[in-house]
Amino acid sequence: MNKPLDSARGRPLSLRVARRIVALTSVVVPRAERAEWRREWEAELEHRWAMTRRRPTDWRSGMDLIRRASGAFPDAAWLRRQFTADADLVHDLRHTVRLALKTPGPTAIALLVFAVGIGATTAIASLADTLLVRPLPLSDADRIVTIWERNTATGIGHADVAPGNAIDWVGRSRSFQAIAAVEPWSVDYTGGDEPEVLRAGRVSERFFDVLGVRMFHGRAFLPQEYVRGNDRVVILGHGVWETRFGGDPALVGRAIQLGDEPYTVVGILPPDIELRLLGGPERVLWLPKYFEEYEPKIRTSGYWNVIARLSPGVTLEQARAEMDGLSRQLATELPRSNTNTVAEVITLRDHLAGSLHALVPLLAGAAVFLLIVACANVANILIARGALRGRELAVRQALGAGRGRVVRQLLTETLLLAAIGGGLGLFVARWALDLIARLRPVDVARVDSIPLDVRSALMAFGLTIAASVVAGLAPALQLSRPAAATALHEGQSGGPRRGVRGALVVVEVALALLLVVGAGLLLRSFALIQKVDPGFQRDHVRALQVFAYDRRNEKPEGRALFVQRVLENMRSLPGISAAGVVSAMPFIEANMNIQAIVEIVGRPPAPPGDDSRIFLNVAAGDYFQAMGISLLRGRLLNERDIAGSPAVVLISRTAARTHWPGADPIGSRLKFRYHGRPFEAEVVGIVGDARHDALDQPARAELYLPHAQAPTGAVTFVVRSREGSPVTMMDLKKQIWAQDPLEPLYRTATLDELVDRTLVGRRFSLVLLAGFAAAALLLASAGLYGVLSSSTSHRTREFGVRIALGAGRREIVGLVIREGLLLAAIGLVIGLGGAVWLTKFLRSLLFGVTPTDPVTFSAVAAGILVIALVSCYLPARRAVKVDPLIALRAE
Amino acid sequence: MNLTYPTTLVLQALANGFHYGFDVIDATALPSGTVYPILRRLEREALVRARWEKPEIARREQRPPRRYYELTAAGEALLETALARYRAPQAIAARGRRLRPARSS
Repeated sequence: MNKPLDSARGRPLSLRVARRIVALTSVVVPRAERAEWRREWEAELEHRWAMTRRRPTDWRSGMDLIRRASGAFPDAAWLRRQFTADADLVHDLRHTVRLALKTPGPTAIALLVFAVGIGATTAIASLADTLLVRPLPLSDADRIVTIWERNTATGIGHADVAPGNAIDWVGRSRSFQAIAAVEPWSVDYTGGDEPEVLRAGRVSERFFDVLGVRMFHGRAFLPQEYVRGNDRVVILGHGVWETRFGGDPALVGRAIQLGDEPYTVVGILPPDIELRLLGGPERVLWLPKYFEEYEPKIRTSGYWNVIARLSPGVTLEQARAEMDGLSRQLATELPRSNTNTVAEVITLRDHLAGSLHALVPLLAGAAVFLLIVACANVANILIARGALRGRELAVRQALGAGRGRVVRQLLTETLLLAAIGGGLGLFVARWALDLIARLRPVDVARVDSIPLDVRSALMAFGLTIAASVVAGLAPALQLSRPAAATALHEGQSGGPRRGVRGALVVVEVALALLLVVGAGLLLRSFALIQKVDPGFQRDHVRALQVFAYDRRNEKPEGRALFVQRVLENMRSLPGISAAGVVSAMPFIEANMNIQAIVEIVGRPPAPPGDDSRIFLNVAAGDYFQAMGISLLRGRLLNERDIAGSPAVVLISRTAARTHWPGADPIGSRLKFRYHGRPFEAEVVGIVGDARHDALDQPARAELYLPHAQAPTGAVTFVVRSREGSPVTMMDLKKQIWAQDPLEPLYRTATLDELVDRTLVGRRFSLVLLAGFAAAALLLASAGLYGVLSSSTSHRTREFGVRIALGAGRREIVGLVIREGLLLAAIGLVIGLGGAVWLTKFLRSLLFGVTPTDPVTFSAVAAGILVIALVSCYLPARRAVKVDPLIALRAE
Repeated sequence: MNLTYPTTLVLQALANGFHYGFDVIDATALPSGTVYPILRRLEREALVRARWEKPEIARREQRPPRRYYELTAAGEALLETALARYRAPQAIAARGRRLRPARSS
């Protein structure tokens, strides 16, 4: 750079200012020209000053110098503009936009394809991120685990825990810094518009230490509050505090009336705590739990949950190993009840992710496949468009553009397309997430609130880059091949690049087939599961669940009378064909699933591990008629089976099969305990099986006691109405309130709703996978269509010659269709091969079909061939419309 | 090439023997922020050729060497066209001489 020649000569201020202006402005000048530019300006300024220095300097010439120097800025700016205008990127972008405007059709399709591909993948990525990666709103939440029972005989896990086991786990385990049991509870709240039940959990001493939450207001329970008589305290969930109690912080320390007792509110939980414990909707109240004397004895009926926080330094595997050891120990101590029972440790996160936990990898795979298909599709569109640009690219290369330069230009084009497509994709993702929220599977937490935020945008951005490279690289390398320069003298004929385009279509068809096979398997599973006979008739049945245990229904006789009167009133309503009660209502969320070990009088007790458990249920009224459960042998329960009369039971068909193989159960006498009371009863009838929790789970062995002989307060009224009955759910509620105006209804629903709820998860995975499959199929057929149309337009002359030489239209059509079907067939074969290998990952979602179900596979293959045929036929028809004269003249 | 009136003035100044940026500014009475971009454009279009002044001259005058612009054949041809379009710029010669720096060789 130019140094001041001699600063001692005392330059005037004006020159110094002018030089400073030039120096500052020089940063605008492109680097390559900067030094020379500055030298030129400084030389002019110095020269001008050298000239004037011989004359007396006046302020006017000084001002002139500064004014001139300020002209350096427009000069520098002009150079910078020229420079950027020439820069490759800007140039390429401009070129892309011009090209896009010239070919709006393919551009729009490419944008749409990118939008769908990137959008769907972003949505699934956000879903996976929310469920599996984002921190839970609890401190160090990844150290929190839930512990469940698994039955090694049936393989059923993630099951509620028997109180006795939970108490032993809490007392004996060492891996946890805190561990607590949770008991399902509910309290009546009559402070609102109608009596309602608030779902509660009674929690043992270390529960809030496990959660590690700081109360929003107030405090957690004190140790002395986990003691009988001292336990009339409650902690409210944030939601119920706001909706029922107006979000008043002064509520802490005050008493609220729950059921028959006043409870002092000691704390309010912070918002957004979701634990999904004890099944069904989130619990809203928490009460202290101390263990009752009889509870350690309950080993066969699981209805508690256990939650724990790992001690520092203890890994999940170590905790699992300890719990396995503890389970073995308990099995040795209590062989009759615990032989097949092991503890299953599941992290809180996995528990909260629910059924989606297994589904997310599947959906992520599907989304990636769709994205690949989308990229292949865009690549195909680009190559097709590139073929039209063969001349342009050839000219560029002939004029000296290197291959790298051409590749860069083509990649820039793809990147721009992908960027706009990715932007649109965010809208697609928002829409997809709303759809997911609407389809929300019941056991999945936080699906409603999957945000589309910076993280999602970043994921979309990453996907965009990846997609544009994947979609752009093949066309770029293909089109930039020096051989492409032959396009200069090739004219229009010759179908270049059919090889690559064909390969892309094969990929699309193969991946589409994979997705369609997956969706097909789920669809068939869904159809089969809906055809499962649940053992009852779903339509026109309403269920109303109550827990009538409060002071008004304290006496067993009182409960029996309450049930009897309500049933009478319900039957008197118009259009009601049957009304009954049951204690364990099929498909309802909250059930007392009581199991007992049953001893058949006159037979030796079953050896340990031989599972002789039967589910105990209590029924009354026309329960079996209302449900449409058939009587197979013997008689049903009737009004003569009352407290004083001989004890009787009904058994289900499965119970008859498993416990009386080859023998007649009618007349057998059974010994078992129910609610701690010993029973000895005679089997008087066999009824049909009713599936209990899910259509895809086998019916369980069940035993029904008459309500009058076992008057439990936990009952569900089951009412069947005739077609066109005017009776509403409210009418039925009123029959209950007529007997007890303060009796809250825990749950009311139609039987259809209850059954349907269990299918939500399946419907969810089906709809999502089907969506992916449909999109992939559409893209693949569009790809096939695109390849064939451009190949036929390239072969116009050939067809013209053939027609001129006497080829029939049919032969020409055959020629085109054969080309297309060959591609489709290769894709099919590859796709089928992949499907055989990949569908095994679907196994847990299937029902009644094997992962390689031949029906699904052949139906999908046939369907795709038909679609391929249609995609080929349209271009083929155009090919035969070629007029040989015109085709030949075109050369 | 966008042949504007200022461009024509600059071309003519160069033709009339004003070879340095500031001299062209003096000759045309156009602002420096107009003259320089025009010179750049002309250079880019090969209508003008630029060189650096001989170092000896600069050293003798105790200042850095200046950048020297002259018309190419294409530039002269363009000037012909331009003059046919704008007759007025003939005046520049007179005005230019008056402002010609004293130093001139």
